Amino acid sequence: MSHLLTPSQTVGPYFHDALLGCDAFISAEAPGQRVRIVGTVVDGAGEGVPDAMIEAWQGNCFSRVGTGAGGIFEFTTIHPSSAPTDRTTAAPRIDLVIFARGLLNHLVTRIYFPDEHSNERDPVLRLVPPARRATLIAQRGPSHADAREATYRFDIVLQGGDETVFFDVR
Amino acid sequence: MTTTIGEIVRGDAAVFPPYLYDAYRATILRAPLLPMVEVPLSIVDRQGPGAAWFPVQPIDADLTRNAGMGGEALGQRIILTGRLLDADGRPVPDALVEVWQANAAGRYIHKNDQWPGPLDPNFLGLGRCRTDANGAYRFLTVRPGAYPWKNHENAWRPAHVHFSVLGRMWSERMITQMYFADDPMLSLDPIYNAVPEAARARLVAAYAHDVTESQWALGWRWDIVIAGSTSTPFEERGNA
Ligand SMILES: [Fe+2]
Repeated sequence: MSHLLTPSQTVGPYFHDALLGCDAFISAEAPGQRVRIVGTVVDGAGEGVPDAMIEAWQGNCFSRVGTGAGGIFEFTTIHPSSAPTDRTTAAPRIDLVIFARGLLNHLVTRIYFPDEHSNERDPVLRLVPPARRATLIAQRGPSHADAREATYRFDIVLQGGDETVFFDVR
Repeated sequence: MTTTIGEIVRGDAAVFPPYLYDAYRATILRAPLLPMVEVPLSIVDRQGPGAAWFPVQPIDADLTRNAGMGGEALGQRIILTGRLLDADGRPVPDALVEVWQANAAGRYIHKNDQWPGPLDPNFLGLGRCRTDANGAYRFLTVRPGAYPWKNHENAWRPAHVHFSVLGRMWSERMITQMYFADDPMLSLDPIYNAVPEAARARLVAAYAHDVTESQWALGWRWDIVIAGSTSTPFEERGNA
């Protein structure tokens, strides 16, 4: 490599106005079923992380939200199983990028969905030790009254025995 | 005092800071401790809508006036410019570059920043622009002040500007901080020091007299190099 990569630094505590100031930053114009993801970011003591930022990346959607009191976050996007598929045999998933004060580098993880048979052959999920795969599978949320918007729960554990699986993509 | 440095790193450990660096105390309970799952770039579909749909106006890059109060921010006016490149040295155009910073007195407008430094009604400390065809970004702002924090006794952050870079997909995503050359606070800062020593200088902008404008503003130059766009030519993944 001829050019040396720039190191990352923490997002710090004061990013909200710069990065979350405009609702128009959330684009969900793509066709498909809406899905609402709710969850909590918790630290190694089990405490909610109230100053994290979560980005959800998909082919034609991008959402960016901050956590609030108790580490709770929520965003709405397109259910990836209803979006136009890519060229691979990959299972439906949402790529997540996580920033926070105290994270010197961002974290990369994925939301997969329960009851998707394609999870078994997903090339990335297969790299995850079987005992830890459950940390990447969202749980069905409580309310399915509105069929147009399913709700799933996905908690992010930064540290500990039930730590969420994070990826190092190289 | 010895610092505990964790072994979990994402990316090249010669470049990127470890998650656990206990001199920066907020890492202690937030650093992942289990091994990361390594994924070859080749099996990942690097998806993303790109940054081009983010609304950006020219005034957004002028932090001295974008508070919209009709006045100009106080402080030493500076031009911050540089290029966004990939690891092969190719420009990354159309990326969204967002910055935030303390004012010249070291104070953020953020509600959680309550130290007794003065606020400036003409300074929000927020800016954004998109990189041009050469990967170049450019901001007009004021030089930020150092500010105190509560990490340790008499702790002060060196003057810095927070940079967020959002490219076409998540693998072109990074948030970092830019510092100023010859700042005596740098060697005292655990966030800066968490970066491997050989790579720290890459976070430091250089004074650039060719950027300085006579009777107007001092110039500083800082290039940003991100990974993630080298393996697959763009044309091959444009139709996903
Ligand atoms: Fe800061």
